[in-house]
Amino acid sequence: MANLKEIQRKIKSVSNTQKTTRAMKLVSTAKLRRAEELAKRSRLFAQKTNQVIAEIALRVKCQKVGGIESRAFAKIDAPTMVDIIFVTADKGLCGGFNMQTIKAVRKLMEEHKEKKIKMRLRGIGKKGIEYFTYNEVELLDAVKDLSSAPDMQRAAEFIQTSIQDYYEGKIDAVYIVYNGYKNVITQELKTIRVLPVDVDAYDCEELKQSVLEIEAEDHEKMLNSLIEKYVEYNMYYALIDSVAAEHSARMQAMDAATNNAKEMVKSLKVKFNKARQEAITTELIEIISGVESMK
Amino acid sequence: METLKLEVITPSGLIYNGSALSVTLPGEEGEFGVLPKHATLTTLLKAGVIDIEKENKTVESVVVNWGVVQVDEEKVVVLVDGAVAIRGENESEIAKALDDAKTLLRDVSDSNIAIASVAAKIEGAAQKLIY
Repeated sequence: MANLKEIQRKIKSVSNTQKTTRAMKLVSTAKLRRAEELAKRSRLFAQKTNQVIAEIALRVKCQKVGGIESRAFAKIDAPTMVDIIFVTADKGLCGGFNMQTIKAVRKLMEEHKEKKIKMRLRGIGKKGIEYFTYNEVELLDAVKDLSSAPDMQRAAEFIQTSIQDYYEGKIDAVYIVYNGYKNVITQELKTIRVLPVDVDAYDCEELKQSVLEIEAEDHEKMLNSLIEKYVEYNMYYALIDSVAAEHSARMQAMDAATNNAKEMVKSLKVKFNKARQEAITTELIEIISGVESMK
Repeated sequence: METLKLEVITPSGLIYNGSALSVTLPGEEGEFGVLPKHATLTTLLKAGVIDIEKENKTVESVVVNWGVVQVDEEKVVVLVDGAVAIRGENESEIAKALDDAKTLLRDVSDSNIAIASVAAKIEGAAQKLIY
């Protein structure tokens, strides 16, 4: 009989868990819709900005316009120091979402270590920060609560340190690693190098005949402000994209958890019924054998 | 009448997408107008007002704080950081847009003269909308 009660308690606890996971799934679905909308709206801006930068990069590479020489387009053969910025979620319970990013960061770190390149790790998002702190990997800085509520201003402030150091020559490249949104059921891990701008990716022949109107005395200032916006925006976009991906990952994880709980309740119910039947049978046998022995 | 295709894009979405007869932009080196078939150019914008002359000859104003514009023969693409379009169905909506625009400008510029000159301009545009 004790066994029966125990099973009943288990069923109750599992179905309570199921209720929680279902609620979490619903919350994530709602949040995903909003995040997705935001990501969709800003994707256009991201594409256009990248196009403008690409076009300028092309001109710098192919035509050497007006002697524009910016470190942003420089080709650095032997980097000595790089910045790696990672974006993870502030919360867990979203499957392998955070771990995938962390793994990618580790891989990138190992690649750099092999080439004897020093690196600085800058983290956004509680989960990644916790992981690296626990493993005693030094973080240059760690920002929490930014990945769950992306904000252009804060993103810009955060990346500013890297931009400054890049221009001053303290670091030779800036990478952003994050898990981006592909569609409702898949996330896509992205590692992008924001600085220096990858000039090699563009082909000289694609260049359209157009004029870049930049006054000579000001060109450096203008170009730099443009690049700064480009990098800041890429950072912001990484945050938005990551949030959308986080919610989609959590939605999936919670859906799986709900289904698992359902399965578990089912098998526990079968177990419960068996145990109950067993108890009845034993009781009956006891009664019958008692009657038999009385004869 | 010839028109050009104009897109004004902010990080949070498109705020203008359509054809226009002409557009006046606040370039870093000074205000300039773009008509259809303008030669291609790429330049930076400073805080100011973009005046869009629409096909029905009405002018729509958009206040921006920073931007890049890419002009080619049939298309003008304006990428801006923050923008407020001065439009609305009634007076209170327009007044709200005006307020938003002024806050946007105050955030980027410390110089009162710059703010005042832009503010005067957009207020003029808003007046026209109301009457």
